[in-house]
Amino acid sequence: MTTSSDVITPGREAAASSGGRDPSLPLLIAGIVLMVISIGLLFTGSAADPARPFLGYLVAVSFWASILVGMLFLVMVWWLFDAGWSVIIRRQLEHFLAAFPVIGVVMVPLVALGVAGSDAVAWTWMNLDAEVAGAGVTVAEDVLYLHKAPYLNTTFFVLRFILIIGVWVGLAHLLRQWSFRMDETGDHKYVHWSRRLSALGMFVLALVTTMASVDWFMSLNFHWFSTMFGVWFFSASMRAALSATVLVLFWQAARDDGNGLKGIVKPAHFYLMGCIMLAFTVFWAYISFSQYFLIYNANIPEETFWYNIREKNPDGSLNSWWWVSMVLMFLHFFVPFIYLLFYKCKFGARLKFIAVWILAIHLLDIYFNVLPQKLPSDANILGYEVRQFLPGLTDVTVFLGVGALVLWAFVRSTRRFRPIPVRDPRIHESLNCHE
Amino acid sequence: MDTSNTASSPAARKPYGMLALFDSAPAIYEAARTVREAGYSRWDALTPFPVHGLDGAMGLGRSRVPVFVFIGGVIGFFVGMWLAWWMGYYNYPLIVGGKPYFSPIFPFPIAYELTILLAAFGALGGMFVCNRLPMHNHPVFNYENFRSLTDDKFAVVIEAEDPLFDAEGTRTFLEELGPLEVTALYDEEDDA
Repeated sequence: MTTSSDVITPGREAAASSGGRDPSLPLLIAGIVLMVISIGLLFTGSAADPARPFLGYLVAVSFWASILVGMLFLVMVWWLFDAGWSVIIRRQLEHFLAAFPVIGVVMVPLVALGVAGSDAVAWTWMNLDAEVAGAGVTVAEDVLYLHKAPYLNTTFFVLRFILIIGVWVGLAHLLRQWSFRMDETGDHKYVHWSRRLSALGMFVLALVTTMASVDWFMSLNFHWFSTMFGVWFFSASMRAALSATVLVLFWQAARDDGNGLKGIVKPAHFYLMGCIMLAFTVFWAYISFSQYFLIYNANIPEETFWYNIREKNPDGSLNSWWWVSMVLMFLHFFVPFIYLLFYKCKFGARLKFIAVWILAIHLLDIYFNVLPQKLPSDANILGYEVRQFLPGLTDVTVFLGVGALVLWAFVRSTRRFRPIPVRDPRIHESLNCHE
Repeated sequence: MDTSNTASSPAARKPYGMLALFDSAPAIYEAARTVREAGYSRWDALTPFPVHGLDGAMGLGRSRVPVFVFIGGVIGFFVGMWLAWWMGYYNYPLIVGGKPYFSPIFPFPIAYELTILLAAFGALGGMFVCNRLPMHNHPVFNYENFRSLTDDKFAVVIEAEDPLFDAEGTRTFLEELGPLEVTALYDEEDDA
């Protein structure tokens, strides 16, 4: 085995512990307080729509989970392709991957409520006695549910939940630890281990991420089915992760306390990140449009209703989701697409701007895919109303709470481990990155 | 191949430019910067492999190929949409699968594929136009050491058409850059 034998200063654990007050502690406290409040807010839904806080919680957790999932994919893709330019960026993502257990923990209240059969749960199929909105039957009598029951039952759901979180946390943990150990020992066997794990883990990760999107989002309207949905979540996650990575790189490049990347990140790194952002903007649009296009062309009621409730009120007028979908089409695809085509937009403040833009509308994309559901109602002949777009209090507290916990895990990792993988065999390629 | 450029009578050939030969990448990088700062505009650097940053040292701008790609893509998109509209709505109206005669949704794959196809044609054609291809011969091929330029030597060529070019002055200027040699290049006379 080859090793990097250069003399490198000893590990960072000692340096960090002597560095005085830990700046990540306030984030941890804020996160825990906000999450405790959020769990209380889960039971504050109205009588007409008891599950609305639950969905706000799910949307906000999913925003952060999608960023982490995209980052895990990115790290594994870079290992698979033996990428040289991205090595110093990979380390920033490895710091973020420390936050996966947070996602597992904050999802537990939702799963626990589901198992308890609470009315506040938006996975309506979990309660077999609940009325299916607009169908006039209970879940247990619903033909489409009965066909899906072998997959869509609470026991199997909980097992899959454990599997999903287990795979995410496990892959993230191994890739992190191997990379950090290479910093200390310089042993390049960890490169080979990481590449082998990525080759196999890519399939497992794709499988559990698809399961997560089907279980947590698609099952909210359990009559509906789309084979594109898992890929949609993947493509959206990649866009979110790339944008978040760009913002973190800017922050790290400006950081002056010795744990940052001042003078290390080159304009070429941002240019290349901008190029992948453009590629995934097109990919997201391709996937999102393909799903719409196939359902539009086939024109089967079991599928089209999912888009119908996102376009029109029962009386035929356009509802709030139509406007959201227009924002997604024009501001989440056309604007970033045309913008990122330009060379100069892949650097500096212009790239920072579009990264914030994409992240913000990514949140709207999750709202669009998660929030709309049929609610039982006697107000019209269809027997249901559609939940409209309106941000709620729980959305905000969970968004801030999970965000604080994710950033806590990230900041803590940046203080414990090196800002760049100093003994990675391709570190020089990355430090001397060229277009 | 007869490469005896300087041996045959120069009178039968028209001057093409002045070439300075270097033997390292840093040397060509410095030379390129000096030539650019001297204000020459019709000149080029010849290297056996891509030298990172040389385009910056030469003061080259971005390629204009993306413009061709973009125009090709836009034309492709609208041709695809127009094709679906003309056939399904205008020339032979026909209802297929309960869809309207024309809608921007169902012909999207056609417009999308044509966008990619014509953008790719734009990239290929734009590359030919920007590189002034096809070009079957180049006066630099007449240089006796041309083959070393594909191996381990580097060169700067200042063309005779450059407004600042002056046979003696340019030769002196290039010799001050510390090259291995400075050679005058000649073009074949146009027989046609």
